[in-house]
Amino acid sequence: MAFSHSFEYFRPGTLAEALSLLDQYKGDARLLAGGTDLAVHIKENMATPPVVIDVKRVTDFPGSRVSPKALYLNASTTFSDIVNHADLRKAYPMLWEAARSVASVGIRNRATLAGNICSAVPSLDVAPALLCYDAIVHVASSSGTREISIHDWFISPRKTACLGTEIMLGISITAPAVKHSGIYLKQGRYRGEDLAQAGLGVLITSDLQYRLAYCAVGPIPFRARAIEAVLNGKVLTAELISSAKAMVQDTVHPITDIRSSKEYRLHICEVMLERGLKAVEQRLNGAEFDSAEILGG
Amino acid sequence: MTDYRYIGKSITRIDGREKISGAAVYTDDIDFGANLLYAEIVSSTVAHALILNIDTSEAEKLEGVVKVFTGKDFPYKFGLYMKDRYIFAQDKVRFYGEQVAAVVARTPQIAKMGAELVKVEYQELPAVLDQMEALAEGATILHPDLGDYPHVPWFFPKPGTNVAHWRKTRRGDLENGFAEADHIYEETYEVPRYAHCAIETHVAIGKFDYSGRLTVWSSSQSPHTQRNLFAEALAPMGLSQKDIRVITPHVGGGFGGKAGVTMEILPAALATKLRGYAVKLRWTREQEFINTYQRLGVVAKLKLGVKKDGTITALDHKIYWDAGAYVEYGANVVNAVGLSAIGPYRIPNVSIDSVCIYTNLPPGGAYRGFGYSEMLFGLESHITTIARQIGMDEIEFRRKNAILEGDKTAYGAAMNPNGLLEAIDKVTKAIEWDKEYKSTDPNKVIGKGFSLFWKAPAMPPNASSSAFLKFNEDASINLIISGMDIGQGYQTVMAQIAAEVLGVDPSKIRVETPDTDRNPYEWQTVASHITWSSGNAVKKAAIDARDQILALVERVYHMSQDSLYLEDEAVKCHNQASFNLPLRSFVVEGIATKDGSYRGGPINGRGMFMPEFSSASGDPDTSQGGHPNVHYTVGAGALILEIDKDTGKMKVLKAAEAIDAGKALNPDLIKGQITGGLLQGLATVLYEDMRYDDKGRLLNPNFTDYKIPTAMDVPDEIIPIIIEVPQPDGPYGARGVGEHTMLPAAPMIANAVENALGIRIRSMPITAEKVAMAYKKHREQ
Amino acid sequence: MAKVKLTLNNETRTIDVEPCETLLDVLRDKLGMKSPKCGCDRGDCGACAVLIDGKSVRSCLIFAIECEGQHITTLEGISGDQLSILQEAFIEFNSFQCGYCAPGVIISATELLKSNPHPNLEEIKEALSGNLCRCTGYQPIFDAILKASKETKK
Repeated sequence: MAFSHSFEYFRPGTLAEALSLLDQYKGDARLLAGGTDLAVHIKENMATPPVVIDVKRVTDFPGSRVSPKALYLNASTTFSDIVNHADLRKAYPMLWEAARSVASVGIRNRATLAGNICSAVPSLDVAPALLCYDAIVHVASSSGTREISIHDWFISPRKTACLGTEIMLGISITAPAVKHSGIYLKQGRYRGEDLAQAGLGVLITSDLQYRLAYCAVGPIPFRARAIEAVLNGKVLTAELISSAKAMVQDTVHPITDIRSSKEYRLHICEVMLERGLKAVEQRLNGAEFDSAEILGG
Repeated sequence: MTDYRYIGKSITRIDGREKISGAAVYTDDIDFGANLLYAEIVSSTVAHALILNIDTSEAEKLEGVVKVFTGKDFPYKFGLYMKDRYIFAQDKVRFYGEQVAAVVARTPQIAKMGAELVKVEYQELPAVLDQMEALAEGATILHPDLGDYPHVPWFFPKPGTNVAHWRKTRRGDLENGFAEADHIYEETYEVPRYAHCAIETHVAIGKFDYSGRLTVWSSSQSPHTQRNLFAEALAPMGLSQKDIRVITPHVGGGFGGKAGVTMEILPAALATKLRGYAVKLRWTREQEFINTYQRLGVVAKLKLGVKKDGTITALDHKIYWDAGAYVEYGANVVNAVGLSAIGPYRIPNVSIDSVCIYTNLPPGGAYRGFGYSEMLFGLESHITTIARQIGMDEIEFRRKNAILEGDKTAYGAAMNPNGLLEAIDKVTKAIEWDKEYKSTDPNKVIGKGFSLFWKAPAMPPNASSSAFLKFNEDASINLIISGMDIGQGYQTVMAQIAAEVLGVDPSKIRVETPDTDRNPYEWQTVASHITWSSGNAVKKAAIDARDQILALVERVYHMSQDSLYLEDEAVKCHNQASFNLPLRSFVVEGIATKDGSYRGGPINGRGMFMPEFSSASGDPDTSQGGHPNVHYTVGAGALILEIDKDTGKMKVLKAAEAIDAGKALNPDLIKGQITGGLLQGLATVLYEDMRYDDKGRLLNPNFTDYKIPTAMDVPDEIIPIIIEVPQPDGPYGARGVGEHTMLPAAPMIANAVENALGIRIRSMPITAEKVAMAYKKHREQ
Repeated sequence: MAKVKLTLNNETRTIDVEPCETLLDVLRDKLGMKSPKCGCDRGDCGACAVLIDGKSVRSCLIFAIECEGQHITTLEGISGDQLSILQEAFIEFNSFQCGYCAPGVIISATELLKSNPHPNLEEIKEALSGNLCRCTGYQPIFDAILKASKETKK
């Protein structure tokens, strides 16, 4: 397809260079990482930036580190980097599962976690994981760096707290101090690559703390704190799960769109909650299974 | 059973090396040099409107724009069966996405920028987006001039209404039939529109040279039909068939979508006003969704009467088709099903009304199955239900009523030989129908679904095929034919037929994609008729060549032709084992005689086939009296479906499909059709559908939201079964199977869902969402 | 226009591109490689897949200008003088019909077998899930990859 839009292209080698370009072109520049979103947006005239700054060759982003206690993934990290990281899979299964559910290999080889988070679409698969792990987003501008809690990151569909003069450096996560496990459940229209009709991340700790976050069922991904409050400190029982499920209708406010009706989304949110809680408890106790099967494949 | 050397063998495809190495040339791969121009189409942004004004001035000012065209430049009609559409919209647009103008420029980018600068002023008219609304009293009429449109004699338009064609089939006495019934069941079924989704979008390049010769390269199933339609449409410009050449390289998938003429007319027409240039138009995926043929939408009202013992006494089948803004091709889908909506059953009293209705949605047209999938969704759902209602096993019910050789079809002709009962038995056995399937997962249930299917090629009675065959010096062969290998393996099978007759290995036979200047006539590669029809022509061409060879040998060696045969690239003799005359020694150069002169010369075969028994001249009110369909291909399918009761997610654990190929010329290729066709059919029922908003705008014109199956979405197991009850007039007994393989998919799923959950879903698609919500409601009641 | 120098199927090439030109268009129109196909132009279908530094990517979603200094492999580069074991298996199992998706499918399968020479069926499905094939129903493609993987020594 031909582009009716032309732009100027820059490929900085350092963060300082990238930031100075960003300052120079102010609101006219868009950052290009994997490009799997931006290329489509430019083709379809949804984005018409006069300047594109390719940050893939920036060599001085702080390095990624993965340990069971903490994790830092820099802006160069692709989804394939996450999917192929055995230690990450073990320590942060929810994040791993979310990354694996994004598109397909040929996209994951290119698309970055940073680019994805900055896209801030409502169906953002990794958002529930980041919300459950209380991630911090690290950004830099020419006047310095700052940390933004993931809970303050999503403003509205496709809008984040990151300013136009800032570049995302990476995200960090500190794991809960006690034994914990997580799971990401994604409901799509079929088993193959799809955008989520609904997504749920569930994190559980050995001291019975629960964290729940939904995506694709509201304008931005969110933590279901009211439901967490009902669960916290309690052992999972059928009754407890029932009372948690009963809260879904008041907690989740989805819309009807091409991918799903509002009614089905609400229904699925309940099913996900029940199955997610049961599955994550099993996983905490050492069970091994493929989360893609939890909702019927 | 005859022992064949190449027929019935799973020969490796002759186009494999080309396609797997990346060498295969598709239309978009051809380079045209420096004088190539690119066209971008300005499309209607409303579903129904008068065009008040088109302002092209800004686009014309853009540097690099060569010319801007509108409907005024081409006031010409075209169409396959009914000439109801113009090359570009004239005074009116009738669907969102219809071509209104074209910008031709030096680069695709400039063309696109130019198209964005063309301003079209519309006066909107009420849009009719639903066929039942279009039928209603006082509906907006889309084509006030319907009475003036030229059409084939077997169409019956109703001027002054939105009914473009009404196929009526009447047989027996319907009232009596229902009176004889012990049980009558009535229901309505709905099927939405679907998109073909060949991975290659439509693309065509037109070039009009300074001598006045038009060449069109196109990705098409129909090179000769395209040439003919171009010639008809462009006749006012003085072009005849001889001045037009259509070249069709490899096609990246067809499924009916590249049959006839859709967007190809645009670069062909544009080129005629730009002498010396080549003009290229390639549809984007979005345009592919919006402005090519689509599968028609259907509302079907079924009423079936049965006796206690399961005998069907009467069928009243009313099918209302959403055929779109232009029905030049789609009306024949309506016609075909109107002749065949009894399904593969023996029914004495029948009334079928198949009604082709104009709507302000994109034109409907051929889609693999040609209307039979839509019809069978209702009919086969209905059959399973009615069998259950009278307490009869659904397989037994189908066996009892299955149409057999000699039974009368709906239009009164005798049914061809077929293996329907064998198909039922083999599928039942392969799927272990009587086995109790039970899920070990408490969230899941398992259901079984069954369906029969049938389909006949829908063709004009005089649709024909022809073939040329020429020997080369080394006894290799060029087989020159004009069917398209759209993936089904046509070239390979035609090579096998020629190989069998001539005793030459298929690997020594080259079959190229067609060029209407050099290749002989073929109607089109549609209707699953090509193996049968072109196969007959190829066989005749090979026999013609063989006869020339044997006559020559008889003349030179004074041996009786009856004693001679061809094998291993040589002429051999039944009576004289030592006689072995290699073909390579004479098929081009002739046979040397003692005096040094030669006899014979290049061997070139010619063959032609037309089904001379076919006739479309049945009675307009009853369809009795003609022989519109050459034969039906039948089969049966069954599947085991696992359903998650809460999420509605479904997985096909096992599917079996049996199809009566008459004779499997290449069994692996038929199995390939079953594996591929069944998945395409399952996708139409499980997740695909075209969704329009209330303005007639498609909401999912991309693969992000029009979901076609991925490698993750295949059934766990597919058991392909080939039945062989020969077709008497088919090459080696063969008949077509290409479309049929997807036909049983939708009713099998609907039947399996009912079997598992006790809920009957009567509208496609049967998505996870629909199943989950219906089951939730069912449980709450 | 900007100059881009890259390695294409082991040959160094230098070309002039506009920043908005995709790698797919440049490969096809300026570099003569016709095997990557355009199917959707938005990364959904995989027909345009090529390898960049050994990893499969969607060439329709990449600007050619991004590829400075990188190694690009198309199906032409895999075919070379002799088809690969995988390609021969594709021919043997009729793992194509129209053939339009085949270049992208083979790129994905080649990447898979390189990183995981003996994949199981689920891994094959996962690796191919971004390559849409409308003709085959995928099973013949799985068969060919399993066969090729068996022929690759453990």
